[in-house]
Amino acid sequence: MEFDVIFGNAARAGLGPTAAIFALAAVGLNLHFGYGGLLNFGQVGFMMLGAYGAAVVVATWGGSLWLGIPFGLALCVVFALALGAPTLRLRSDYFAITTIAAAEILRLLIRSSPATDVTGGPFGLQTIANSFYALNFLPDGRHGLGTFSFSSNQLWVMLVAWVLVLLCSALVLALIRSPWGRVLRAIREDEDAVRSIGKNVVAYKLQALVIGGVIGGLAGVVEALQQSGVGSENFEPQVTFFAWAALILGGMATTAGPVVGAILFWFLREGVESFIRELSTQSWLPDLLADFLDGSEGAISVTFMGVGLIALMALRPQGILGRGRDLHLGT
Amino acid sequence: MSTATSTATAATATDADGDAILTVRGVRRAFGGIVAVDVERLDIRRGAITAIIGPNGAGKTTLFNLLTGFDRPDAGAWALEGRALEGLPPHRIARLGMVRTFQLTRSLGRLTVLENMAVAAQTQPGERLERALLRWSWRAEERRVAERARELLDRFGIAHMAREQAGTLSGGQRKLLEMARALMTEPRIVMLDEPTAGVNPALTQSLLDHMRALNEQGMTIVFVEHDMDVVMGISDRVVVLAEGRVLTEGRPEEVVADERVIEAYLGRARAPAETPAEDGDA
Repeated sequence: MEFDVIFGNAARAGLGPTAAIFALAAVGLNLHFGYGGLLNFGQVGFMMLGAYGAAVVVATWGGSLWLGIPFGLALCVVFALALGAPTLRLRSDYFAITTIAAAEILRLLIRSSPATDVTGGPFGLQTIANSFYALNFLPDGRHGLGTFSFSSNQLWVMLVAWVLVLLCSALVLALIRSPWGRVLRAIREDEDAVRSIGKNVVAYKLQALVIGGVIGGLAGVVEALQQSGVGSENFEPQVTFFAWAALILGGMATTAGPVVGAILFWFLREGVESFIRELSTQSWLPDLLADFLDGSEGAISVTFMGVGLIALMALRPQGILGRGRDLHLGT
Repeated sequence: MSTATSTATAATATDADGDAILTVRGVRRAFGGIVAVDVERLDIRRGAITAIIGPNGAGKTTLFNLLTGFDRPDAGAWALEGRALEGLPPHRIARLGMVRTFQLTRSLGRLTVLENMAVAAQTQPGERLERALLRWSWRAEERRVAERARELLDRFGIAHMAREQAGTLSGGQRKLLEMARALMTEPRIVMLDEPTAGVNPALTQSLLDHMRALNEQGMTIVFVEHDMDVVMGISDRVVVLAEGRVLTEGRPEEVVADERVIEAYLGRARAPAETPAEDGDA
């Protein structure tokens, strides 16, 4: 059993660009739900628009990536307004259902044949991030130790991604500590009470939806940069739920919660997967079990994460960084 | 047809009596076939404490919800100091100076008591998204808001809880906090929906004292109440609702002497043979 390999793989996943992407998505969700009480189950829709907005400008229209990224984020703003304006007046469960449906509709539209000329349909779009990697000032070659190592370009994406995570976390923290954030947190507690003291609840919720959605859009942009392309299969509904899992794991309504949660989520997921992969090669294992494990590492790992989340809900429902007493103070 | 009625009455709603702060004309709300509220005419006097009483289901809370924008009437018009309020959302009505509380207290549990107060201020520019990150542009106001909040908390005797989360307060303290928070908006008229519901006698007395003290400073107060003793002790005017209509209106001692009020509460005196089902019609 090579534990250094397992740990190296886990650490690479926990600090890699994918963890940063999910951290960004979870930071956005934290503003939505942790502070604003908005049940957004369509965060992947924002990620998709950020990614495809940037990719379409570069690959389809031959524009600059530096125009594409703001274009993608602008699409997120439009999506948030279109999604929120009709539904944020309704009860929160209607909003939740609308978000999950809207994100899936968006994905099906993007991969539909009429859209192929623009979005590449089921084939996606490729080679969109050349001008991003041209800015890479890091030395060539691999960096790191053993399996915990990255290519120069991977490291460059990671650097940018984690800086974005820091900036967005700082932005959310500053907003939440402002009087604006106080109104938003009050809305989470009791909308009608906040209406009764003269605040336009729908406007605040819409603003929070836009900001958290744009942060989700940034996550999509990083995803497109990392892959130097986009494909609709990367934006299936479970992406949203992995981001939710990261947020719940780390702790809702805390600054570092979504970030710690995303790191831990990918660390554990890859750690378990790598462990099972190692295990299935062990000669002392009965052939039948080894055959079963071989090839199903991914499924077992996701199952493990599910069981782990259930255990977390039972033992520490507020997440790792959350405040336990808050659970009993909700209205 | 209902729009025609509402525009016709709108003119009269703004055409108020000299001492009326709130004028209500023809406000009607039906749920299916049940007419919950049908108030032909109601004037709330400036600077007075007005009690709205009536048996269960008389439409008291529905009337509150309509007047404060939390529910929409089918027809009718009402105005605060001559400013028409029909069609406005609740937050606009609150900003115009008519603020309400709820029958079941609505404290913002995970916010501190001080935050509960500060969020009710109408003067904080940092509540606008474009100013939120410009700390310097709202810090001074934040200090003034906190100062005003502490004064009010002091007055209501819960200043020692300022740093605690509101969810940790007792039921009575939440009632006090909700009243203090309503005042934080600097209203012209406060609408209290059953301020003494589920409150022990000592605290009821304290709440009434607060209402009286506020009123002495010139605040107009309207409140919904069940307990006749409470109503008699504190109100200048009493409005009796029954089946959504204003049954009568006047000074408390006039109202309790009114046969119709006794009927509405206790049912009409009848031969003992009458069935209970018919009592319900009274």
